Order: sequence, then structure tokens, then C-alpha cells
Amino acid sequence: MLLLYLYISLFVLTVGTFFGGKYAKPYALIVTGLYFLIFLIYFISKFYTLNGVFNSMQSIPISSYYGFDFSLQLSGFSALLVLLSVAVTFIAVYISGTRYGKVFFGLEMLTMAGLVGLLLSANVLFFYIFWEVVLIPVYLLIGVFGKKNADSISLKFFVYTHIGSVLMLLSFFSLYTYQYENTGTFTMSISALLTPSLINSMPVFWRGFVFFGLFVAFLVKLPTFPLHSWLPDSYESAPYPVTIILAGALSIMGGFGLFGIMLPVISVVPASFSTVLIILGIVSLIYFSLAAMSQPSMKRMMAYASAAAMGFVTISFGTSALEIQNSVYSANYILDVTGGMYQILVHGLIMAFIFASLYYISRSTGKEMIGSLGGIFREAPILSAFLLAALLASLGLPGMAGFVAEFSVLAGIFPEVGMWIMLIIFAMLITASYHIWMAQRTLFGPYNENLGNISDSTPGSSVILTIIMMAIIILGVFPHYAFQLLSSYASGVI
Amino acid sequence: MDLSLVAWFVFLSPLIGFPLSYFAGLYRKNLSGLIASGSIAISLLLSLILYLGYTAPVHSSINWFYSFNYGVFIDPLSIAMVLMVSFVSLMIHLFAMYYMGKDPNRHVYFAETSLFTAGMLGLVLSSNLLEFFLFWEIVGLCSYLLIGFWFFKPNAASAAKKAFIVTRIGDMLFIIGLAILYSSLVAFYPDPLNIQYLITHASLVLAAIGSAKLTLVVLLFLGGAIGKSSQFPLHVWIPDAMEGPTTVSALIHAATMVTAGIYLIARLYPLYYMSGTDTLYLLAILGSFTAIFAGMIGLVVNDIKRILAYSTISQLGYMMAALGLFAVLQGSAVGFSMYHLFVHAFFKAMLFMSAGVILLAMMDLRDVRKMGGLWTRMPMTVSIMFIGSLTLAAIYPTAGYFSKDSIISASYLYMTSASQWYYALPWIFLTIGSFLTAAYTFRMFFLVALGKPRSELAAHAKDPSIYALLPLIALAVLSLTYGLFQNDFLTFLGGSYTITVPPYIEYLPIILAAIAIVVTFFIYSGSRWERMNLAKSRLYSVVKNKFYLDKLYTDVIAERVILPLSSSFASIEEDYNSGIERIGRGSLDFGTFLRKLQSGVVESYFTLIILASAVVFIIAIVLGVF
Repeated sequence: MLLLYLYISLFVLTVGTFFGGKYAKPYALIVTGLYFLIFLIYFISKFYTLNGVFNSMQSIPISSYYGFDFSLQLSGFSALLVLLSVAVTFIAVYISGTRYGKVFFGLEMLTMAGLVGLLLSANVLFFYIFWEVVLIPVYLLIGVFGKKNADSISLKFFVYTHIGSVLMLLSFFSLYTYQYENTGTFTMSISALLTPSLINSMPVFWRGFVFFGLFVAFLVKLPTFPLHSWLPDSYESAPYPVTIILAGALSIMGGFGLFGIMLPVISVVPASFSTVLIILGIVSLIYFSLAAMSQPSMKRMMAYASAAAMGFVTISFGTSALEIQNSVYSANYILDVTGGMYQILVHGLIMAFIFASLYYISRSTGKEMIGSLGGIFREAPILSAFLLAALLASLGLPGMAGFVAEFSVLAGIFPEVGMWIMLIIFAMLITASYHIWMAQRTLFGPYNENLGNISDSTPGSSVILTIIMMAIIILGVFPHYAFQLLSSYASGVI
Repeated sequence: MDLSLVAWFVFLSPLIGFPLSYFAGLYRKNLSGLIASGSIAISLLLSLILYLGYTAPVHSSINWFYSFNYGVFIDPLSIAMVLMVSFVSLMIHLFAMYYMGKDPNRHVYFAETSLFTAGMLGLVLSSNLLEFFLFWEIVGLCSYLLIGFWFFKPNAASAAKKAFIVTRIGDMLFIIGLAILYSSLVAFYPDPLNIQYLITHASLVLAAIGSAKLTLVVLLFLGGAIGKSSQFPLHVWIPDAMEGPTTVSALIHAATMVTAGIYLIARLYPLYYMSGTDTLYLLAILGSFTAIFAGMIGLVVNDIKRILAYSTISQLGYMMAALGLFAVLQGSAVGFSMYHLFVHAFFKAMLFMSAGVILLAMMDLRDVRKMGGLWTRMPMTVSIMFIGSLTLAAIYPTAGYFSKDSIISASYLYMTSASQWYYALPWIFLTIGSFLTAAYTFRMFFLVALGKPRSELAAHAKDPSIYALLPLIALAVLSLTYGLFQNDFLTFLGGSYTITVPPYIEYLPIILAAIAIVVTFFIYSGSRWERMNLAKSRLYSVVKNKFYLDKLYTDVIAERVILPLSSSFASIEEDYNSGIERIGRGSLDFGTFLRKLQSGVVESYFTLIILASAVVFIIAIVLGVF
């Protein structure tokens, strides 16, 4: 029951932030920092054997006849994502100015609590509820604290995600009813509803309906082309701490939906769906990379970079579904799946790194348009070095965590995509080009004297950026533990 | 002593030196150069221990992640290469303490060059191709950072970008090759990227994945090598990379990093000859074409460092071509290629450093037309440059003669080994190449050394102190004497091979080189060249514009294809976004309903959610009834 108590206490403490007054920020920092450590120790105690399959089920029954209970489960994958969400929230809280006030911190914390609940939830209804719980504070954070057009942008974010989640709920309920028809008892447990046998027992239409609903919900959150148009606006309009939460923590929702919820039924995903996923993933990669290249604002460019990176996740899921059904050698698809999950994990960290360094640069220069910067390496070398490191991490340089994920996906998908892999390579080249081009235009070259005197990194910002960078490098140079946890989860579930 | 442990510290030592030299440099700038050089001296010492203690190949590796391992692989090829890399890098670091001695950011410079050296040594010793790729990218990153070391120069910033993106093209091909090799071979062998397995069981690999796929994989690896070793058509980044400090050009863009591509092919050579004669012919023709192609451009460039850069491309072409001569040389093709790689590293590093000394005196004015008469003013430096030029032009008895002419002779045998006409092309290209090499080298040298000074700076140039030149002298001695060790070198790399060709073939390249020197002396030692008007010649303008290849890449592909494509995608994206918004607002009833949401009243959001969930729930129940 420890996990349950941990989660409930986290939720209660989170709500406490709203009453924190002017101490809201230190309070939120202490809570997130503390819970990061507690979760870390708890997860190490659970997973020190690096066996990442589901290992605990703890529940409070609410209505046992309808199978409705508050129950939590934990897998190697969700454990890593819980750590990521708490850490990203810590970063976001750390860089938020106290001037935002207690409500801002409270909403940030509430997002995290919802996200952790979503990751741990073992019950489809609570999964759905947490999905919405995450949505509302972010909607408010963008709408109330965002810049220009924040109202309509936050509404777009809300409506988009909401359409997805409605479809997801419908899918869950069709599973729920068919489960009842098959067995005569109600259950809402994820592990009982999402099984290949249940899905195989459904008529073809409903099978397609279930997958359609789930995929739309998750692809909206990833996001995948063409369901993405909430993303660039929300990322750009939101204040930096919220962008960090959006890009670093919320972006895992879609990926967790695919790999955390749907992995057990990957073997029965209809081949047409998988093919569409692969195509959408490749199109997303190319489309977002090319669209990113022409963006005049650094923040918007990185928003597209984030969306493009998620293309790997979609491709990975689609190809591994096909590989499993075509019985390709298992080392291939396990690598493929694990690469996709690793991408979800490290993408969050890398995006947190990018947006945190962009935040400090925009704080010190007051600018976020690429054209209005230039040569800031001369005046702010440390900050520029951090941004450069973040850009290199984002373009997938070996030694940084992104490379491990991208290479695993590339090596895993080849049996299915064949020489179409060249399209992915083209997108990766474009990705490298615009990252490096942006570095050239903002960091290098002659100093833009219009900027006047700008300040370099403060010790506080250096510390947090160094910690994120070290985490990315450690996950890139010594990926073994995290990777092993994920791959044993994958091979255990499939 | 365990050799694998020694090998680990060969590259760990400069890796530890990397942060040390940076942080020490924050307190005392001059300390950073000492620490970096010291850490590389340790590497050199450990490489010598490897060389002396070597008995049989050692492969030791640890699990990295999934089924990928990392570790060290010691065999004659890697030992020879670490010796060269650590020695040349040490010489260049010692010289850099003089050359970069006044730069305010020299601690950054030395930190980056030690990281580079660590990456290069790690690449050479890698036991696994994925680890190899990791180091391959680390050296690429250092090259990017060091080309842009003087980041405030717009040229340097854009050259750094160009180098990164162009080599990235090759790197991406390489990574696809790795992915294909891994996914095709993993069902047969659990550790498919293990270098030792790949080279000792090349025939098994061929049997397992089939000839077509193997050829595809090695061609993709070749793509990586073309990017890194700047072969045609991805050679365009090296001349621009000359915007970096001259010691960087010497270290990265002449002696070590650009040879990594050649090393990759030499490392995996069994896979190449297993994949068939066409692949090997491709190596030969690609290398020999690059040799003559870059040599021609080298003839018309006026920037002293760019002349050397084109010369580097051309000489790398010789190494690549040597690797293609498997039909004649068998396995010792690697030895011939590596031998030229070594000799080239010695004399090209020396040439670059002597150019660096001259550029210090010339206040970084790199135009050879503004120099002249420097031999009397800087006798030491220019004499060293003379030795370098002789070696580059492969004049007997310098080491260049032994390394380059044996490749040309071998290519003659290659021509006679087959009846098809196109087997003659490598020999023809390489022979013309030897004429071009001597011509561009001595054009540069005579313009620098002889005649009257053609600028104030040249008139007042002076030699630096002898201590600064000591590393150059060491390399000059090697350039002159290394020819003696050709056979030992080849034997160490596994099998020497005596090439016997008719004497007129053997002496043809040196005769051509001598003619080239005489002709260039006639034109460039005095002021005759100033009266030549080449601008009207169409051939001249084509060569002067680098065969329009740079223009094709930047003006056509980048600016007419990629950027318009990107901006059209961005505008499609904008239209799409506003279209979505219009759908959202357009439908009146729904729209007004949604607009109420913007009231900012929290309660209404919750109400909406609950209502929506209720509706959905009802729908679901209705659906469930069916």
C-alpha cells in the first residue's frame, strides 16, 4: 500500500501549494524535490533487479460491482516517467519567478499530481479522470498567464485534447461492455481490459473503433501530424515554466498511452492502423522539421523540434506492431519498442533543457526572435554554451541521450520500413541543419550591439542547467540501467 | 601488464585532461596548454607501451546497453594509428602553446583540443562500431567548435555550420549502414557491431546477410568516410574550415580527423573486399578522381591555407585509391594506404604549422600574392616549409616519394591486371595528380619564398624563436627519414608487398613532378605570373569557381530547394492552423457556446467537463447496449 499512501500524500501536499502564500515557490520546490528522492528510492527498491514488468497493484475499492476502484500499478516504464515528471516540474518551479503568485505554483503542482496519477493509475476511469485533471490546470496556466491571444490558444489546446479524450473514453467503455458480455463481471482495470483475447473477441468494427479512439487520443497528445495545431501556439504563448511542463512532462502523455497502455495489445493492432502510424510518423518528422526551419522565433522553432522528435515514437510503435505480427526476430522489435520508450523519456529531459536555457537567454536579453539576437557568445559565454549543448542534444548528437533513442529506433525499424528509412534520414539532416543554423545566427557571429549589455548565467541558473545537462549526458553515455529497465518491461509485456 | 587497461588510458588521459585544462585555465591561462600537452604525452607513452608490448590482438569489451558493447580492440592497425595520432597531436599542442599563446580564450582551445584528441584515440581503439560512431561524432563536434573558435568572425561561424552539416550527411549514411548491419545480422550473431567479429568472420557475415545487403552496408559506410575524409562530392567543407586557428587545421583538418574516414575503411577492410570488385573499383576511382579534382582547384587558389586544404583533399584521395587496389596488393592495400596517411600526417601538419608561423608574421593575411621573399627573412620557417613541399611533391628521397609513388605504381599494376579500359583511369588520374601536386605545392612555395616582398608585412617578417619551431623540426626530420621504415611499417601491419613495374613507369611521377617544379619556378619565382592574364580562359574560371560545386550546394540546393521548401511548409502550416481556428469559431452555435468558456470563470470549465463526461457516458452505455 506504500505507493498508494505516497500518491495520496503527494496529492494532498500539492493542494497545499494553493495556500502557500508567498512561500508557495519554496514549498513547491521542497515538495517536488522531496518526492523526487522518495520516488527514486522507492523505485530503486522495486526495480533494482532491472525487471521492469508490472509489479504492484494496490487499490481502494469504490464500487466493486462495477469494477470501479482507485487502484495503482507500477511498471519500469511508468516509474521512469514519474521521475521525469517530478523532475521536470521541479525545474519548472525552480525557474518560475515568485511574481506569478501562489495560484501559478499550485497549478503547476496540480499538473504534476495529475500526471503522476495518470502514470500510476490501474483503472481506466481514473486514467481518464487524471487525463482531464492534467488538462485543466494547463488550460488555466496558458489562458491566464500566457501572452498574446492566450484565451483562444488555451481554448484550442483544451478542445483539441478534449476531443481526443472523449474518443478515448468511448473506446474504454466499449472495451468495458464487451468485457462484461464475455465474462459477466464488470472490471475497469487496464490490465484486464487491454488484452489481446478481449480485443480479438470483439467484432471487427468495434475493434477498429477501440483502436481509432485510443490512437486519436494519444496522437493528439504526442502530437502527430495532422493533429498538432494546438502545439506550436500553446508552446509559444505559454510562459517559459509552463512551456517546460508542456514540452517536458505533458509530452509523455501520448507516448505513455501508446507504450504504457497499449503495449499489451500491440500484437493485435490492425496492420492498416500500424501502416498509417508509420506514415504519420515519417510525415510528422519531415513536416515539422521543415516547418521549424523557417520559424523566426526560437521558442516556436523548438516547439516544432519537439513535435518532430515525437515522430520517432509513432514510427517505433507502428513498426514494432508490424514486426511482432510478421514475427521478425525478437531482438529487433524489442530494440524498436525500447527505443521509442527511451525517446519519450529523454525527449522530456532534452526539451526541459532547451526551454530552460531559452528562458534564461530571453530573461537576460529580453528577446526571443532569432533575428534580434546574434553573437551573444561574446557577452554570455556560459549561457550560450548551455544553449549550444541543448541544441546538440536535441539534434541527436551521440554522447547525449537522444542519440541512444534515435539509434535504437533506426536499428529496430529497418526490417519493416526498408529503404524508406532514407526519408527519416533526410528529416534528421534537416533537424541538424536548423539547429546548427539557429546556433550560428543567435550565438555566433558578430555581437548584435542593439542588445546592449546583457548578463551571463547566474550561479542559480548554471546549477540547474548543469544538472539537466549531466542527466542527459549520463543517460547518453551510460544508458544501460534505464534501457534495461525499459527493454525488460517491453519483453515482459509483449 | 594488461594491454587493454593501457589502451583504456590512452584515450582516458586526454579525456581527463579536457575538464582539467579548462578549469585550470580559468585561474592561470598558460597552465591549460601544459595540462593538455601533458595528458597527450601520457597517451603517447602508453601508445609506445602498447607497441612494445604487443603480441596478439586484444579485444576487451563491456556491455553498454541492450546488445551493444564498448571496449578496446588492439591490433597492429590501431596501435600504429594511436602512435601517429598521439605523436602528431602532441607536436601540434606544443606548437599551439606558442601559436595560441596570446589568445584570451586559450583555455577553451586547449580543453577542446584535448577532448578532440581523446575522441580520436577512442575512435581508433574502438571495439564496436557504435562506440566508433560515438567517437566519430565527438571529433566532428570538436571540429565544429574549433572551426568556429573565433566565433565573432562571420566567416568562421558559417564555415563551422557548413562543416557540421556536410559531414552530417556522411554521418547519417554511416548510421543507416549501422542500423541495416545490426538489424540484418542480429539474428545470426548477438553482437553484430563487434569490429573484431566483423573483420575476422567477414565471409560468415557475407553468407549471413547476402552480397547485395553487404554491398549496401559498406557503401553507406563509404558515405560516412566520404563526408569525414572530404572526398568528392562532400569535400566542400574543408577549404572553408580554414577559418579556424591554423593549429586546428593542422591537427584536425590535415593530420587526424579527416583520416578517420580512411581509417574506417581500413578498419573494416575485409568487409569491403568481401563485397566484390565493384566496390573496390569505386574506392579506387573515387580516390583518384578526388586527387586530380582537388589538385586542379589547388592550382588556382590564392589563400595559403586553402591551397594546403585542397592538397589535403587530394592526398586523402591517394589513400582512398590505395584501398581500392586490392586486386594487386591484397590485404597490404591497407598498409600502403596507412603508410601514406602517416607520411601525410607528418608533413601536412608541419606545412600547416609553418604556414601558421608565416601567418602570425603576416597578421593573418592569407593571400600568397601578398607574400614573397620570405626565405631570406624567415629562413628557418621557410626552410621547414621547403622540406614539407618536397615531401608533398614526392621528390626522392623524402618519405612522400616512398609512400605516394608506390601507390601510383600499384595503380599501374591494377590497370594491367584487368582488360577493361576503365581500369586504366586510376593510374592516369593519379599520375596526372602527381604533376598537379608538385605544381600547386611549388606555386605556393615560390610565391611565398622567392621574389620580392609584395607587402609591408612580408618585408618585415621575422623567424620566431627556435623553441617554437622545435615540433616542426621534429616533424621535418620524420618527413625526410620516414621512407627508410616503409618495409617495417608494412610488415607490422601484416605483410609487405614488393611492387615491380617497368622503370619508365616507376620514374614517370617523379619526372612529371620535376617538370612541374621547373615550370612553376620559371613562372612564380619572379614576377612573370603577374603579367599572366588567365581570367579570360573559360577553363580557368570553371576551376576558379571550384567547378561550381559549392555554388550548386549553397545557391541551388540550400537556397533554391531546401529553404523554399521549408518556408512553403511553414506557410502551409500557418494556413492549416488558421483553418483549424476558423472551423473552431466558424460554426455559430458551437462557437458561441465555446466562447463562453473564455469567460475565465473556473466553475464553468468544471461544469463543462462534467457535462461532457456525462454525455459521453450516456453515449457509451447506449453503444454498449447494441
